Amino acid sequence: MIALFVVLVPVVFAVVTGLAGSRRVAAVGFGLVSTLTTFVLTLFLPGSAGISTPWIPGLGVTFTLEPTGAGSVLTIVAALAMIPTALMAARRVEEGPGAFVALLLLMQGALAGIFLARDLVLFYVAWEAALIPSMLMLGAFGRDRRRAAVLKYLVYAIGGSFVMLISILAIRPLSGAASYRFADLIAATPNLAGATQVWLFIGLAIGMAVKLPLWPLHNWLIDFNEQNHPSGAADVAGTLYKVGGFGFFAWAIPLLPLGMERIGPILLGLSVFTALYGALAAVAQTDMKRLLAYASLSHMGIVGVGIFGLHLAGLNGAIFLLAAQMLSTGGLFLVSGMLFARRNSFDLDRYGGLARSAPALAALSLFVLFTFIGVPGLANFPGEFLSLLGAYQLHPWAAALATLSVIVAGVYGVNFFQRLYQGEEREPTREIGALEVFALIPLVAGILWLGIFPSPQLSRIEAQSQLIAAPAATATAEASSALASVPAAPPARPGDLLAPSAVPGEGPVAPDAPLGGSR
Amino acid sequence: MSFPPAIDFHWVNFGPVLALLITAAITTLFALFQRGGRSTAWLAMIGVAVAAALNVNLFMLHRAGAAGSSFGLRFLADTPALSLDFVILLGTVLAILVSYDYLQRSDLDHPEYYPLILYSATGAMVMVAAGDLITLLLGLEIMSLAVYVLSSWRQGANESEEAGMKYFLLGAFGSAILIYGTALTYGATGSFVYADIVSAMSAPGFAAPLLVTLGGALVLVGLAFKASIAPFHQWAPDAYTGAPTSVTTFMSVVIKTAAFAALVRIAATVFPGMEPWLMTTLSVLVGLTLVIGNLAALLQTGVKRMLAYSAVAHAGYLGLAVLAGPHGVRAVAWYLAAYTLMNVGAFAVLMLVSDANDRGDELERFAGLGRRRPALAFAMTLFMLSLGGIPPLAGFMGKILVFQAAIASGYTVLAVIGIITSVVALVYYFRVITYMYFREPEYELPAYRSSAAQVAIWAAALGTVLMGLLPGWWYGLVSSGQQLLARL
Repeated sequence: MIALFVVLVPVVFAVVTGLAGSRRVAAVGFGLVSTLTTFVLTLFLPGSAGISTPWIPGLGVTFTLEPTGAGSVLTIVAALAMIPTALMAARRVEEGPGAFVALLLLMQGALAGIFLARDLVLFYVAWEAALIPSMLMLGAFGRDRRRAAVLKYLVYAIGGSFVMLISILAIRPLSGAASYRFADLIAATPNLAGATQVWLFIGLAIGMAVKLPLWPLHNWLIDFNEQNHPSGAADVAGTLYKVGGFGFFAWAIPLLPLGMERIGPILLGLSVFTALYGALAAVAQTDMKRLLAYASLSHMGIVGVGIFGLHLAGLNGAIFLLAAQMLSTGGLFLVSGMLFARRNSFDLDRYGGLARSAPALAALSLFVLFTFIGVPGLANFPGEFLSLLGAYQLHPWAAALATLSVIVAGVYGVNFFQRLYQGEEREPTREIGALEVFALIPLVAGILWLGIFPSPQLSRIEAQSQLIAAPAATATAEASSALASVPAAPPARPGDLLAPSAVPGEGPVAPDAPLGGSR
Repeated sequence: MSFPPAIDFHWVNFGPVLALLITAAITTLFALFQRGGRSTAWLAMIGVAVAAALNVNLFMLHRAGAAGSSFGLRFLADTPALSLDFVILLGTVLAILVSYDYLQRSDLDHPEYYPLILYSATGAMVMVAAGDLITLLLGLEIMSLAVYVLSSWRQGANESEEAGMKYFLLGAFGSAILIYGTALTYGATGSFVYADIVSAMSAPGFAAPLLVTLGGALVLVGLAFKASIAPFHQWAPDAYTGAPTSVTTFMSVVIKTAAFAALVRIAATVFPGMEPWLMTTLSVLVGLTLVIGNLAALLQTGVKRMLAYSAVAHAGYLGLAVLAGPHGVRAVAWYLAAYTLMNVGAFAVLMLVSDANDRGDELERFAGLGRRRPALAFAMTLFMLSLGGIPPLAGFMGKILVFQAAIASGYTVLAVIGIITSVVALVYYFRVITYMYFREPEYELPAYRSSAAQVAIWAAALGTVLMGLLPGWWYGLVSSGQQLLARL
């Protein structure tokens, strides 16, 4: 039942906030109450009971919400990231803060729906429902060239998701599953022939690759971030909405392993390219938001490498990285909004030497930036490291190439910090304000929490990765006996995660031995 | 074919239709002594309410197992008929509400308007209940005659008179083809009743499969005119644009409901026994409708004409479910209810934005509506998103149902065409949203108000959201009881 409340609370508050009109007090108050309540609720998600009830009985569509391992972790972290976002939006949006916060909250409800849905049609409903608030935020509150950005965003997003819809609608009648619930579908999809699976997988993959995003379907992202409201709040919401990786992880790969077998290598290649392309493009940017957009694209490439590598550790790492970058990328977008509030520009050339007059802001920015570029001990590191390491076990060249993007991350990261905070100070600026400190506290706390204690979250994700890595492995493994031994393998202790996957095949009881050994 | 021993009247089956007809007659007499249409509007709404109550009663009787037909399966009261009666009554009452202030503002407020609406709705309900080709033709004519008059209601305006004339000529043409098809079918099978036609065709040694299929094809063409299925849709955009917007609202929902009710019943009962090329032809027409309707809507700059082509496009989506035959009946019934709500809503908003003479429906009129009239713009956003098939609104669930029906019946390619054209459709629906929220008005615009229209808009908006969130309720109703009595 908690899962239902996690979806409903933000939606109800969105309606209330929308009806409350344009008073800023209402926007701040309702925004904070809603995001805090939702966050507290999400903490009780893992292990709680789900809810499943018929929705359109004749069609086997159900309303099923279940907190799975990966889904609950992502919901928790997204709820955490929403707290400062709603606060900043309520304070910094000049005209109609209430409407903006209402859209943010709607977005949050829909995102929770995406992460918690265990019915494929419900998943799609939530997936599309999140599109509307994000489009309205961009279109109604964005910057000068927002109209072109909205159009581009819609064409990519809707084009992709409607193709996905074809596959979703076809998958149940073709496989003969009793309903669209995950449990029923996964029992029936082995009936599908290989070629059918490939076509269905391609349909799903197009929709999900747009939202991952993967090159060459990433183009909307850059303009989306550049043209969104300068507070950065909408960009955080957009960052949380990068749900493509989760879609592959939770739906496409487990349901259609034979499709993954054929298409996966292509997707892996595209992910590697995306990681490198995003990183290199980020180096060349002079606009703060475009730089962040390309840099986060590069991270999404690494997520892709982790997922399409199909190795247990890589899968764990990819989902963990998705969660971590909600905080780090989100944090950097909020920092960019704070800087815009001071100088009214995102042009890096107009900044410099801010560290002198705003040392605390510089320090906090550096902290979030370090997280972003994957410094050990902070949130992104375990995710990035495991993603690449996992992929390395099965696809060493792809992982090696993608790892180069981490090196480039150092370049654009240092570039970003130096041009903002170091060098000659042009004019003094305001030091960080109380509002901004309050906004960054939850993010910093979350980053430390994920960075220092990754194991609890990783083991939650692993519970799902194992289920999912198994059918995915059947697609790649020649020896079917390897499959049989997977469920029998002892579940990994959280602390073991790094050790067995770091050295493949070292320990005979390593949980991923069947995967590594079958190659 | 033989009559049952005694004629089975079962008058109760006629309750809703008679209630509408009697109200229409009373209202016509009453109108003689009236100048404005306000009082006849109220009378008409009372009539609709009585008909709805009788329909509920009938539905409950039906679910309790009462005989669902009169005159030997000629007049049916099975689940599709009764549920689509609800849709027709819903569309009628919403159309009356949106007309209430609009007619006064447009100087069209004559008391005969509302009785004509009721006559037309009566015909629509007869069409929905029709279990034989003659009843079908009667209903079609009763429904159409009233609407021919209503379309040219704006006397002296060329567009309106052109709309009425065009609609009348093409409508008469369509009826003639339908009658020709009826004659051929009768010639081949010796019966007008669907059930008897089905049994005659399946009898061993049936001699005239080609003749009966030709008859079926002509009946299909005749109904395709009313349902605005391409290439027989050409009257629709002109008639929809030229007629007063309140009449367009009525036409776009009630006539479409009646036409598809008749079409899906025939396609589910009679067509499967005919030669397979008939269904192939229909599937080609449906594909054409999807493409033509959506592409043409994309090119429009006026919102009214855009909605007219969008109505053609939705005929295509409904056609997908018609193709599915018996499996598609529920999808059609569900979709038509959702379509009625969102389409009336969209037209009602348009009426409050455009001028009294129906000019000024350009997209520019919607610029800045999000700031000037936030509630109205919000409702319009809901209707556009729902028409475009964005979850979690009614239009999305409707699309899921029709695509499912098509895929389950093997029309996967058509479903794919349907989904691709849905992407095109989103472009023109989103264009309205773009104007409302992302542009500023270039000049001062009039702001018309109407509390009756507000009631219709918010009822439609609420319905659109609720049907999207709780699709199972209406789906449960349309799936209960006896499906398709005409099928033996």
